[in-house]
Amino acid sequence: MRVSSSTLFDSNVAALNQQQARLLQTQQQIATGRRLSTAADDPVAATRALDLTRSDAINTQYASNRSAARHTLSITESVLQGVTSLLQDIRTSAISAGNGTLSMVDRKTVAAEFSGRLEELIGFANSTDGVGNYLFSGFQSRTQSFVDTPAGMGYFGDDGQRLLQVSESRQMSSTNSGADVFMRVRNGNGTFDTRATSTNTGSGVVSVGSVANPALLTGDNYSVSFSVVAGVTTYDVTNTTTAAVVSAGNPYTSGQAIAFDGMQFNISGAPKNGDAFTVVPSANESVFTTISDLITALNSSVAGAHLSNSLSRGINNLDHALDNVLSVRSTLGLRLNEIDALQSAGEDMGLQLKQSLSQLQDVDYNKAISDLNQQQINLQAAQKSFAKVVGLSLFDYI
Amino acid sequence: MTSSLFGSAISGMNAAQAGLATAQHNIANAATPGFNRQEILLGARPGQQTGAGFIGQGVDVTGVRRIYDQFLGVQVLQEQTQASYLSSYRTAISQIDNLLADPDAGASPAMQNFFSAMNGVANYPESIPARQTLLSGAQFVVNRFQAIDQRLTNIANGLTSQITSSVTSINAYAQQIAALNTNIKRAIGSSQSGQMPNDLMDQRDQIINQMNTEIKVSVQTQSDGAVNIFIGNGQALVIDEQAMSLRATQSSVDPSKLDIGYQSGSNLIAIQQSSLQGGNLGAYLTFRDQSLEPARNALGRVALGLATSVNQQNQLGQDLYGNLGGNIFNVASPSVDKGAFNSGNALVSAAISDVGALTTSNYQLRFDGTNYTMLRLSDNAATNLGATLPQTVDGFTVSLTSGTPVAGDSFLIHPTANGARDISVATNDPGKIAAAAPMRTAAAMANTGSGQISAGEVVGPPPTDANLQATVNITFTSPTTFTVSGAVPVVVGAVAYTPGQNISYNGWIAKLSGAPATGDVFTISKNINAVGDNRNALQLANLQTQNLMANGTASFQGIYDQLVGETGAKTYEMNVSSKAQGNMVAQIIASQQSVSGVNLDEEAANLIRYQRAYQASAKAMQISNTLFEALLSLGR
Repeated sequence: MRVSSSTLFDSNVAALNQQQARLLQTQQQIATGRRLSTAADDPVAATRALDLTRSDAINTQYASNRSAARHTLSITESVLQGVTSLLQDIRTSAISAGNGTLSMVDRKTVAAEFSGRLEELIGFANSTDGVGNYLFSGFQSRTQSFVDTPAGMGYFGDDGQRLLQVSESRQMSSTNSGADVFMRVRNGNGTFDTRATSTNTGSGVVSVGSVANPALLTGDNYSVSFSVVAGVTTYDVTNTTTAAVVSAGNPYTSGQAIAFDGMQFNISGAPKNGDAFTVVPSANESVFTTISDLITALNSSVAGAHLSNSLSRGINNLDHALDNVLSVRSTLGLRLNEIDALQSAGEDMGLQLKQSLSQLQDVDYNKAISDLNQQQINLQAAQKSFAKVVGLSLFDYI
Repeated sequence: MTSSLFGSAISGMNAAQAGLATAQHNIANAATPGFNRQEILLGARPGQQTGAGFIGQGVDVTGVRRIYDQFLGVQVLQEQTQASYLSSYRTAISQIDNLLADPDAGASPAMQNFFSAMNGVANYPESIPARQTLLSGAQFVVNRFQAIDQRLTNIANGLTSQITSSVTSINAYAQQIAALNTNIKRAIGSSQSGQMPNDLMDQRDQIINQMNTEIKVSVQTQSDGAVNIFIGNGQALVIDEQAMSLRATQSSVDPSKLDIGYQSGSNLIAIQQSSLQGGNLGAYLTFRDQSLEPARNALGRVALGLATSVNQQNQLGQDLYGNLGGNIFNVASPSVDKGAFNSGNALVSAAISDVGALTTSNYQLRFDGTNYTMLRLSDNAATNLGATLPQTVDGFTVSLTSGTPVAGDSFLIHPTANGARDISVATNDPGKIAAAAPMRTAAAMANTGSGQISAGEVVGPPPTDANLQATVNITFTSPTTFTVSGAVPVVVGAVAYTPGQNISYNGWIAKLSGAPATGDVFTISKNINAVGDNRNALQLANLQTQNLMANGTASFQGIYDQLVGETGAKTYEMNVSSKAQGNMVAQIIASQQSVSGVNLDEEAANLIRYQRAYQASAKAMQISNTLFEALLSLGR
């Protein structure tokens, strides 16, 4: 075949250009560590890489959401830990205050101690997260959660819970409403609440009682009133909601069960004529009310059955408050556990994403360096042979 | 006898001189573009008849011929126009590819940053720094969109000047070819034996080649040596000695673009773009219409989708001041261009109605005298809109603003083209981010049942219900029924209760569950002081992962990735095709060069050959001189 002189040059220049371009590309890959410099290098891998980068960024975002949730949950947990031990202390003191040997002065000392602990509890309930946000105010995080009002301790937050996106499919509440923790504590036994009337003069002490037959519960208010005629004690049960007499003239034996309309409790001691006990459906009673009721009872000069009734009722309600706090703490624990589990799942996921991403866009150094060497040798060979080929000319011999 | 010897020797010397001159000409033009090597044509002179037969009388140079293969020439033209098309397209689209996929400069990191900041607000809604970060993130996104759009616009402006200069070159080439036609015809006519003016023809072929790299041409040679040049579907650019011209003019359909017209006398005839193929001009036009414009529309769609969705969700929330949320972004509106040949005075406007249904296409609204038709230009799908406007197609609504259309009127609509250019941040007040929901739910403290109410949410899309923040009380009249007060319209009588049911009044929705007792009350009211409420911020942050675009098939970043992927794939295709076509051209040119190119060694051999021939003829001359001397000495 005839070869024109310009073809010799043109094709060599083109070949050298191509080799240099390849060499430059390999060199760039090595210098940047990236196999893909633009999407056109490998469109499929590039779009997949964008996808993975985004997933990775979102995954990282969830991790920082989790750490925000963990922060709030941990602070709440440590506050509630303080609340738990405080309530346990009060409960222990309240039980010992029921000891008949305590004098009026001793009881007043206990009451003073309780007043101090109540202030401490209010401090716990108004805890902030360290930057001025109240932990227990719901959505109104800049509003003080609990304020003493003439009508008792008032809750000024709301029921709002802050949900955080802690994983792709899980929104976790990072806060607890103060109402749920401190205010919504069921008094009595959770269904009904027995109380001694404050004007009672006898030594009758009423128990908390229990539900005997849920089907018969009415949700009405009742009163159990005693009459002592000729040394014989009887009691009448009246539904004060409907004003209907449930039963009348029942003979009274100390400690024997009194049962009506699905409820059952006992009264022990010796009620006097005209003494009465009321039975009402359980309602919410704040832990603050429970403690201040105890303080009032301890400060009162009357001892005996009145004190016993108040103390037993108070201790019972404290137990409920304690249960309530413990159950909130257990959900906190569960949430913290879940965050840990999600965290490790998230880290695994992040690792996998980074691996896939690296496979897609990072350069394989072994291959790149070997390519570079080969391309270098090729280019050198082409340069040398080109110089030799164009050096041949017949004109040299004329 | 001797005189014929002299004549023969001189003819040999002349022929050798012509050979030497041609070889020298070839050597001199070895690097001249478009040069085809030449060779002399020799013919033996007819012999002189004698009794002994015909005695040769020497040699004649019958002509100088250029070595040119018509078939290869046509092939080079064909392959080269395609090669320059692909290479120009590749260069143009690489600019977009680098721009969009750049991990630092693309819009993807900015959108990610924005949503990370949104998560920050969801985590700490009361934090002003978190909100400030979000506003900076919003500004960053806006800047990215605008910068990329600006770059695309610059590329488009660059294309406009490239198109203009390409047209100018084509016209200049046409003039030159016409002039060369004149010269060549004259040169052929003036040579008695119809010799070809080889170098003029080379020059003309070279100019045709150059024109062919701008636009695909077809060449027709006339018997008198002139060529006719045609482009597209047979539009003549050069006929004999006359050159026509092309002109780049503002498009009658889309005033933002240039169309190519064909100047015929004083009339300008628009050329169908599909007939302008190949070459740089073909590449510029195709790139502009099939890659650049869709890319800008796609980018605009991402910006519109993001801005509109964020605005809508923000409007469902409540800001730090307790007011209902407003817009975070200012959103572009579609542009509408009235057709240049419309005879009616109708003005049409368009507005986005559903970002999720938007496409990246442009649309043409046509009126046939009775009915409107919407033509989607990307796939030419037509939708009959009936006789009245407004009508909604693919997520935007067209309305008649004023005037009356006349049959044949048309309007060009770009729904998303300005989406990235015109996006901006609407507020610089961090408090205006509506992180909270405008209402809250509460269970009364005195409730004795175990009934619960969920936090509730606002029913979208905006505008929100006028009574959204009115206090509504749900009071249970029995464990299975409740009454509602405060709802608009008023709810009369008791409503049956099923645990887990959703209740929805005044534009909100909440869920009631558990076992409420008689007399239990749940209140839905205005969310005052709710600085710690993140319900709406959470919804805003979750917009990132929702498939809100392209009819619910992709997220904002998803459609952006799609744009990057499509551009990448097209660039890849162009890289590969352009490389393959380049090789093809190199091969065909090598074939052509192997026929027509100058080989210096060959010319060196020719030089020696003709030198020897000249020397030999000179020797013959010397010999005939000696013979003549001998003849003269006879008389002494």
